[in-house]
Amino acid sequence: MSVVLNEPGFLVDPEPVRSRGGFVWQTIRRRPSATIGIVLLSLVIVGALLAPWVAPYGLHTRVGPVFGHPSWSHPLGLDDGGIDMLTLLMWGARISLVVGFAATLVSMLIGGTIGVLAGYFGGKTDVVLMRITDYFLVIPDVPLMIVVAAIWGPSLFHIVIVIGILLWTSTARVIRAQVKSVRERVYVKRARSLGAGHTRIVLRHVLPQVAPLLIANTVLTIAVAIFDETALSFLGLGDPSRISLGKVIENAFQRAAISSGAWWAIVPPGALVAVIILSCSLVGGALEDALNPRLRVAHLSARTFRLRPLVGRGAESL
Amino acid sequence: MRGADYVIKRTAFAVITVFVAVTINFALFRLAPGSAISNLSRVPHATQELREALKREFGLDKSKGAQYAIYLKQLAHGNLGVSFENQQPVSHNLWEALKNTLPMVLLGTVFAIVFGTLTGVIAAWRRGTALEGATVTTALGFYSMPTHWLGLMLVILFTGVLPTGGMANDFLINPSFWTHLKDVLSHMVLPSLTLGLVLYGEYTLIVRSAMLETLGEDYILTARAKGLKPWAIVRKHALRNAMLPIATLVALSLGYIVAGAILIETVFSWPGIGRAVYDAVLQRDYPMLQGAFLLLTISVVFFNLVADLLYFKLDPRITT
Amino acid sequence: MKKRWLSALILGMAALAVVAFASTAGGSSSKSGGTFRVGSSSGIDSLNPYVAFNQDAYSTFQYIYPILVQYDRTNVRFAPFFAKSWKASNGGKTWTFKTVANAKWSDGKPLTAADAAWTINTDIKYQTGGAANVAGLIAHIIRAEAPNPTTLIVHYKQAAGNVLGQFQQFFILPKHIWSKHTGHKGADLKTFPNSAPIVGSGPFKLVKYQKNEIALFQRNDSYWGTKPQVDTFGLRMFSNDDAMISALKAHEIDAIETVPATAIKTLKNAGFTISNVPGLDQTDFIFNSNPKKKKHRELLNLKLKEAFAHSIDRAQIIQVVFLGTAQPASSIVPAPTGSWHNPSLKPETFDLGLANKLLDKLGYKRGSGGIRVANGHKMVYDVIAPTDVHSIPRTFQIIQADFKKIGVQLRQKALDSSAAFDLMSGPNGKYLNFDLAMWDWTSLIDPDFMLSVVTCAQYGGWSDTGYCNKRYDRMYAQQQLTPDQNKRRAIVWKMQKYLYDQRPYIWLANDNAVSAVSSKWDGFTNTPQGPFNELSILSLTSVHQK
Repeated sequence: MSVVLNEPGFLVDPEPVRSRGGFVWQTIRRRPSATIGIVLLSLVIVGALLAPWVAPYGLHTRVGPVFGHPSWSHPLGLDDGGIDMLTLLMWGARISLVVGFAATLVSMLIGGTIGVLAGYFGGKTDVVLMRITDYFLVIPDVPLMIVVAAIWGPSLFHIVIVIGILLWTSTARVIRAQVKSVRERVYVKRARSLGAGHTRIVLRHVLPQVAPLLIANTVLTIAVAIFDETALSFLGLGDPSRISLGKVIENAFQRAAISSGAWWAIVPPGALVAVIILSCSLVGGALEDALNPRLRVAHLSARTFRLRPLVGRGAESL
Repeated sequence: MRGADYVIKRTAFAVITVFVAVTINFALFRLAPGSAISNLSRVPHATQELREALKREFGLDKSKGAQYAIYLKQLAHGNLGVSFENQQPVSHNLWEALKNTLPMVLLGTVFAIVFGTLTGVIAAWRRGTALEGATVTTALGFYSMPTHWLGLMLVILFTGVLPTGGMANDFLINPSFWTHLKDVLSHMVLPSLTLGLVLYGEYTLIVRSAMLETLGEDYILTARAKGLKPWAIVRKHALRNAMLPIATLVALSLGYIVAGAILIETVFSWPGIGRAVYDAVLQRDYPMLQGAFLLLTISVVFFNLVADLLYFKLDPRITT
Repeated sequence: MKKRWLSALILGMAALAVVAFASTAGGSSSKSGGTFRVGSSSGIDSLNPYVAFNQDAYSTFQYIYPILVQYDRTNVRFAPFFAKSWKASNGGKTWTFKTVANAKWSDGKPLTAADAAWTINTDIKYQTGGAANVAGLIAHIIRAEAPNPTTLIVHYKQAAGNVLGQFQQFFILPKHIWSKHTGHKGADLKTFPNSAPIVGSGPFKLVKYQKNEIALFQRNDSYWGTKPQVDTFGLRMFSNDDAMISALKAHEIDAIETVPATAIKTLKNAGFTISNVPGLDQTDFIFNSNPKKKKHRELLNLKLKEAFAHSIDRAQIIQVVFLGTAQPASSIVPAPTGSWHNPSLKPETFDLGLANKLLDKLGYKRGSGGIRVANGHKMVYDVIAPTDVHSIPRTFQIIQADFKKIGVQLRQKALDSSAAFDLMSGPNGKYLNFDLAMWDWTSLIDPDFMLSVVTCAQYGGWSDTGYCNKRYDRMYAQQQLTPDQNKRRAIVWKMQKYLYDQRPYIWLANDNAVSAVSSKWDGFTNTPQGPFNELSILSLTSVHQK
């Protein structure tokens, strides 16, 4: 909760923002792993976006028997409703990505705001906001997600909100530390002494400096959000009217796919989730490395690997 | 003196956090739609009197404020209340579930720490080699897999070889100690391995980067220049320093592991704390849920505190 | 995974008997002894009859507590159990049971009619408190007495129609144990854990129990009836079907209670014997039928309900959701209850043309997107669907697709059962807000309970339709007070027909009870309630190694 092993706030070089962006891009290009991540992620996103046009069958169309075997016309077989698995994967990735992005947006908004406020104003504001952050850090998140999703009903909207609400703590801490260091920079101090308002300073001077790290953090949060959605769906708390990848796994598991020998209904959706999480980690990790000079030596830094919900969060303390 | 201040301050923060958690948890459950009463009174020919009687019995006829006061008073006496569902003390129910979860989780965690540290160190030391590439790729792969899906993959692979459900073969009549141990362990292999592999991925990556940072430090370069053997450098200097973030991280993660074991428990039909929480949600068994959340929150706060203090002890430069 | 709400309904069917059959069931080549291991995916929630809800709990009580009567091999007629004979007198207001002599509890204390009388009187005394869970079973009873160890006399306020049906679910508890737990005005009845080993008196003794893990039963050698052939019987609990089936395949267990339809073929191929019989569980499509409901009042129109009923493709539901292991359903009292089911009620034909015609006639014209407009609003409705009934999502998808073709748009509103029921009965048990829902019911053999769930008295209780109709309630009361079972049947059939026309429910599919057993075992008899049931003790007293 409060162990800060190395505050990720030490942007030593007061480079102008624009060249920093170029630097980020260069770093990514130089790392093969980041390139792989971007390529994979793009493939998944394109497939998901094009689902309505290129998916071979209808999402609700029964095209054969329950758990039909893979064949030429259905390379990945059929699910427990006789629906084409390939079609389900494309549509499922769509919903999973939507949940990932939307929940991340929610957590970025909350975490970004709290981080900026706490870091910029410091003092009592900081203390109060950080105690709240502490609470969200220690609350057992998987059980809490279960409670909220079960009690308020498993709709996509609720799932996005609950994941978003549980994921913002890491963003808040990273941003807070960053803002603290930016605040002390010469040009910010100068702006303040020239009478610039808080809003203006935050918007004009602090945010642009913080933005790159926020982006890196975002990419990593997307991975966790998608993981969370998959887990919730598996526990029967997914939105039944929206087929996400997690829902595809759950449907098959619920109908005893393994005992029925229908491995094709379980293996591909999980593998696709793994690919998405993997590529987000690669991209996010590379970005963070690039932005953090001290870690440049260690590509794939510790900070990158935030503990997942199964295991917990808290890696922001690293 | 400064040390004592630090410990007191940290501990006070921990206590405050627990109190906040208790309050928010209480509110969270009482605001929920769906009530234990409508659940429990659904027996044939249930009467209005029965519903009233149940309300009184569970104290749900009182105001929310009064319920909160009663709850705090109970807690102060170390009483977690009585489960709505099976009318047994919550502490009893929690312990029954927890004692099943702990051994499985511990085995998996130990596995992950041992192998994660080992491969993490090797990867850092053999930086830039194919070995590092393979290690990092494997670790990242496990890190990226949905936990329950990894469990299901193990089930598919090992059906018929190892037990894939339950904690033991309960039908061994009067087994010898060794038979029993063998049976219990064989049931524990797959769930522990699932947990272990996921954690393994994380720990490897963390240890590796912690090591890389340390290996870049000046004193390591000095040691190297002095001609110390590579392994000696790793053991005597690098690993010792890298242990700091590693130990902290492990302590931090322990608190969450128990809470998160529910996915594995679902896959492997393991009667643990995760399933107990899940059932309690469906039954709107508030005392049970509050008890479970309190327990999990305290364990997270506790391990955080341990991590804080550990870190403080290892690196006295830390002030806040 | 039986839905808790529903299995609760099953509250107690007990009995068994069939002691007479058990001895013949074994055949000459049978081997006695051994441990019979059964897998269950539902589980025992509590060992206290005043607390328990789940079917496995009641099936457990069936084997460890004495019960006056049980069902015979047909599962619809009553047979002697702890009561050897019975007769009604005083115009049906007094019932006299002759009970088994020289019976003993498992701790050696005598088991007599006095235990039965004590249990009945205690339940009456605390029916609004600690004994509320069983209050329905002693309704209309004034008191019970035991003039001698083998005679039980029960006095009723009025001549009752389903005395044996109620006593078949009624577990007799050992007075010398339970009389110590009636403190706090009976509230202690519920907090007594009644943990294993339990003092009982049935064919088995429960010797070990761990929640969500195992219940282990040993043959009770002091049992007064025909003894089981196995030495030990165990119920092992699983939280998912795959784990259970793989344990069966690995021979860690010998049988499973409920086989998911998708696994039947694999298990057959692996050499297991599959038993597939019509069951008591039915899925349903619910209309909020409360005449006072506020919005979307067109859903109260019987012609509209009829059109909806003709838009449901039961054949496809049965093929996709149940893989053929279900029957089309048509009545609130399902066919496996035997003669209680009104056979003249047929499932509505699947006929979208007819449905469209009916809706056209009602004047609901199609608007934009092909969706009809009724009373100035689009015919778009939320369907509340509890998440814990696993057959619902697929069933809903099929219904949703067909309803689109009749210009009605359905949206699934998924909630867990607690929240779903709250939403349906709200506000405050008045059923004013919801439109449509899907759920399922597990019937008992005696129709009284199922018929009761649509009475006005069940508002806020078991009602999930908001249906309330004075004429129906009168018929319900009448059947309760008709001791002549033929006359009672006539009323019960009339009530079913009445509900069929009024359609608070459209009944969808009547799920089979499917069990699997290893080829090494024989005699594990399946029933509409599965092999480990609350109907009789037949299956586990007759099960034996081949």
